[in-house]
Amino acid sequence: MGLSQTYKMKTPAIELNHVSVSYLHNRRGIYSVKDFILKGGMFSPFEYKSVLKNIDLTVYKGESLGILGRNGEGKSTLLRTIAGIITPVSGTCKVHVEISPVLALGAGLELELTGIENIKIYSALSGNYDKKTIASVIDQVAHFSELSMEQLQMPTKMYSTGMLARLAFSSVVNAQPDLMMIDEVLAVGDKGFQEKCKRRIYEIKQSGATILFVSHNPDEIIEICDRGICIENGEISYDGTSEEASQHYLKLFN
Amino acid sequence: MKTGKGYTLYFLVYKNLQLKYKHSLLGFVWSFVHPLFYLLIFNFVFSKAFSEIENYSLFVLSGLIFWVYFSGSCNQLSQTFIKNTHLIKSLQVKKILYPISEQLTELVSFSAGFILFIGLMVYLNLHVNPTILYIIPIILLFSLFTFSVGLILGSLNVFFRDVGILWNTLNPALFYLTPIAYSFSIIPPQYSFYFKCNPLYHFLYIIRNVLHQGIAPEFYHSLYCIIITLITVLISVWIYRKTKNGFISNL
Repeated sequence: MGLSQTYKMKTPAIELNHVSVSYLHNRRGIYSVKDFILKGGMFSPFEYKSVLKNIDLTVYKGESLGILGRNGEGKSTLLRTIAGIITPVSGTCKVHVEISPVLALGAGLELELTGIENIKIYSALSGNYDKKTIASVIDQVAHFSELSMEQLQMPTKMYSTGMLARLAFSSVVNAQPDLMMIDEVLAVGDKGFQEKCKRRIYEIKQSGATILFVSHNPDEIIEICDRGICIENGEISYDGTSEEASQHYLKLFN
Repeated sequence: MKTGKGYTLYFLVYKNLQLKYKHSLLGFVWSFVHPLFYLLIFNFVFSKAFSEIENYSLFVLSGLIFWVYFSGSCNQLSQTFIKNTHLIKSLQVKKILYPISEQLTELVSFSAGFILFIGLMVYLNLHVNPTILYIIPIILLFSLFTFSVGLILGSLNVFFRDVGILWNTLNPALFYLTPIAYSFSIIPPQYSFYFKCNPLYHFLYIIRNVLHQGIAPEFYHSLYCIIITLITVLISVWIYRKTKNGFISNL
């Protein structure tokens, strides 16, 4: 992390070159073999629907990029492509930093298991699996989320939405990722916790990490990010400072 | 990201086991009780009908435990990608690890039950001699075969949810078409060809060689099992690779 200051000057962290992503979509609402036969989907039940079109994007180390756009325009897909979860159909996606999991609300929480077990599994699956690290992760998550040990030992199905958000957010931000991807998580949780999360994100930003932040709230984008992009119809329609991008985004609704 | 597929698998298996037995009183003992219950039924219903089979209880038991393992695993694996939707969508974990961990989970609980069954088999006059060790490679081969069948079901189930339902419907038919409760010898000769098309037939044959007759597995049937497994693995890997990139959009 000490080198981050030197690197901060325009070393690319993420380079997307003409990236297009398509989803294999069911053409006629065929979701079962029955429909497959009855609706005559024998020949081509699936079609490719393009979600991201020819995206060119370079994010530099230490930059914090806000991603704005209406629902279903490809914001989450963009994050997943960068995280390597989705393979683009064309173009190249190069990531030069260590990737953290995409932080989305309640992602991967197993509702039957307790909070602690979930933290354990989540931490292990994202690459921290030795016993000591896991124990310290549990401590940090407990501390940050302000959930009591008693609550952490309950199955997560008994949690309220706000508690789930606390758990999900805490289990990712306690790590020191080089690249942090946040997908609309600040919407829930009470005011106090939201502020705490923002402070934490700000700390991570200060440490030189690259941040990708998806939100519907332009104020949050302005607060946290330096640069903002707008995604419309799978294309980047605006790229500029976070204030400008937010204004552009708000115009979409007028 | 550090690479530690072994650890990832370990934690996935841990998660599966937790989920499987968390809220049950008997825990893994169920993998013992379930076949035992069927054994009692079959013993009661069929032992007179198939009185020509020597030591019928042992005969049924040796087939049943493997059938329960097979159908249980296929059932779990057909749901594996659907169950792990959230993880698949948010973590960069190789997708193939989910079915593998599912199969390992089944193998762990099967093995735990199997140790208890060996005790029961000895009680039912199983000849304990070194040939019984042949069962270990057979279990591994059978697990690989089961895994491939499950992987095919699981991959297709992402796109068509009724693949799983269809499988559950066909399951009992497959059970009665496989010589589990009856012996190979009662199959009429004109149908025997069709019965031999069933891969489970060959597996059961060598399993019974070891666990019922107490002899080494017969050469040709063992060879068939290996060939069948290899073919199924190839087919399943082909289907998985064809379909895996469409998982995220269809989950």
